[in-house]
Amino acid sequence: MSWAAALALLDVPLSSVFTGWIDYIGANWDQFLTLLRGHLVMVGIGELLAILIAVPAGILATRDPRLARIIENLGAVAQTIPALGVIALTFTFLGLGKRPTILAITIYALFPILKNTVAGIQNVEEADVRAGRGMGMTNVQRLRRIELPLALPVIFAGIRTSTVLCVGVAYIGVFVGAGGLGTWIQAGLTTVNYDVMLAGAIPGALTVIAFDRGFSVLEGMVTPEGVSRDTTEGGAAA
Amino acid sequence: MIELDNVRKVYGDGTVAVDDVSLEVPEGETVTLVGPSGCGKTTTMTMVNRLTEITEGDVRIDGESIQDTDVIDLRRNIGYVIQEIGLFEHMTIAENISIVPDLRGWDEERKQERVEELLELIQLPQDVKTQYPANLSGGQRQRVGVARAMAAEPDIILMDEPFGALDPITRDELQDEFLDIQQKLDTTIMFVTHDIDEALKMGDRVAVLRDGELVQYDAPKDLLGSPKNEFVANFIGEDRVLKQLSAVTVREVMNAPQVGEGAGENPLSPDDSLKVALQRIFQQGDPLPVVEDGEVVGQVSEADIQAVTDRRTSEVLQ
Ligand SMILES: Nc1ncnc2c1ncn2[C@@H]1O[C@H](COP(=O)(O)OP(=O)(O)O)[C@@H](O)[C@H]1O
Ligand SMILES: [Mg+2]
Repeated sequence: MSWAAALALLDVPLSSVFTGWIDYIGANWDQFLTLLRGHLVMVGIGELLAILIAVPAGILATRDPRLARIIENLGAVAQTIPALGVIALTFTFLGLGKRPTILAITIYALFPILKNTVAGIQNVEEADVRAGRGMGMTNVQRLRRIELPLALPVIFAGIRTSTVLCVGVAYIGVFVGAGGLGTWIQAGLTTVNYDVMLAGAIPGALTVIAFDRGFSVLEGMVTPEGVSRDTTEGGAAA
Repeated sequence: MIELDNVRKVYGDGTVAVDDVSLEVPEGETVTLVGPSGCGKTTTMTMVNRLTEITEGDVRIDGESIQDTDVIDLRRNIGYVIQEIGLFEHMTIAENISIVPDLRGWDEERKQERVEELLELIQLPQDVKTQYPANLSGGQRQRVGVARAMAAEPDIILMDEPFGALDPITRDELQDEFLDIQQKLDTTIMFVTHDIDEALKMGDRVAVLRDGELVQYDAPKDLLGSPKNEFVANFIGEDRVLKQLSAVTVREVMNAPQVGEGAGENPLSPDDSLKVALQRIFQQGDPLPVVEDGEVVGQVSEADIQAVTDRRTSEVLQ
């Protein structure tokens, strides 16, 4: 079955897929920019909060195995809470608008960052840690000079994964009036207008791709010189 | 001077890694710790810089217990070459070498000078400074590991199988270079190896360990001459007599020269090993004159050499 046939089955007119949504965006350019900006602001703030919480928590977790279990469990549980549930539970005291959505994004983003922070630090060679200790580095010096630089690419991979997830989460903000690209999805759904729906959905998908690519480049930039990346084979990129 | 005073290490899982070991490493000397894998060499060594906490007993450096010293200061004052080399992949060679100077707060210029000095000492070109460990060969990395330990001019250096991961030829080269370097320094060195030949070559004294216990602690030639028991004798190997010949100098066995004896064409030096002497005797016959500063100071015959190995061999068998 071709994809055109699949779309026909879904009752999506081909004109919507090819040009309809572009035309709609063009006709509503200002609103589009507002929605896109709103979307990205929620993802950006939520993600930033998640980084600020998860990276230190991940570092803490690597200092003490008991703490590690607790923190990782909390992180895992956080990810199983439905984002819509978070919003529904919190808008009563966070109010309507972006704030409950940002909270949902943050909670969702925590786990991938946390997991990768822990893995990145734990993957640092035991020999490197011993060498650092043996040379008289304090715990903080070892963390700053050895463990974090070596773990940074892995931590960034976690941030990349979570950002991509959160572009999706931000769509549901529309239920509490947070704006964002979800606005057009909802509008499209209520009026059964595929042009509008796709005008909300496709820019999100493109954003995800852009983030993924962008972070991939950033990851390369934070990979210390002299360290070969997991994705490249052998040899150092010096 | 490092003194281990009845030290004992029991790991959390009950493993007795080091059992009641006492030994002294005199100022400026190199002591090699040797023994089969798992006999407690690394544990013994790392108790000195407190990477391993001592269960019982004490370690003193220049008379002061290491327990009374701040552990960070202690470690910054002791050079350490770890078994896995442990160069930091994300730091350049210059950064790797200057870690301890940096921790000690040396200024940039002094660090740079020291790095250049050390690269010269370990015979690496200056342009490796800006390179990363991944660009270096195994031998070069080991050299950098040694340089890094020496960087802040510590009085004590701990070396855990520093040439362990090398092919025999490179290892020999590095051993010779390090012996050269060591002569110029006044550093007290603890050197761990599982290779008895390396232990005999590098050590002023050799400590043989077995199952966490110190079996014998002697100068190489005494170890070769009178191994304390069968374990040591076996560990030294079948070619013990040959090793002994390498470890004893002509000076130790030569007799007074006979009056009127000339220097001959190819005389021995008092610092030649008995191995060299025996080879010459096989080629030229004995006795051979020994000449120092142009003067005949003694002579050596095959019987003199034989006597050394016989005497010492018979001591063992008793
Ligand atoms: N952290 C540890 N926990 C438990 N046992 C250990 C630990 N480190 C070493 N051991 C054990 O102690 C013994 C001595 O180890 P080690 O000092 O590393 O020996 P060597 O350096 O001579 O090979 C071995 O039996 C080893 O398995
Ligand atoms: Mg060892």
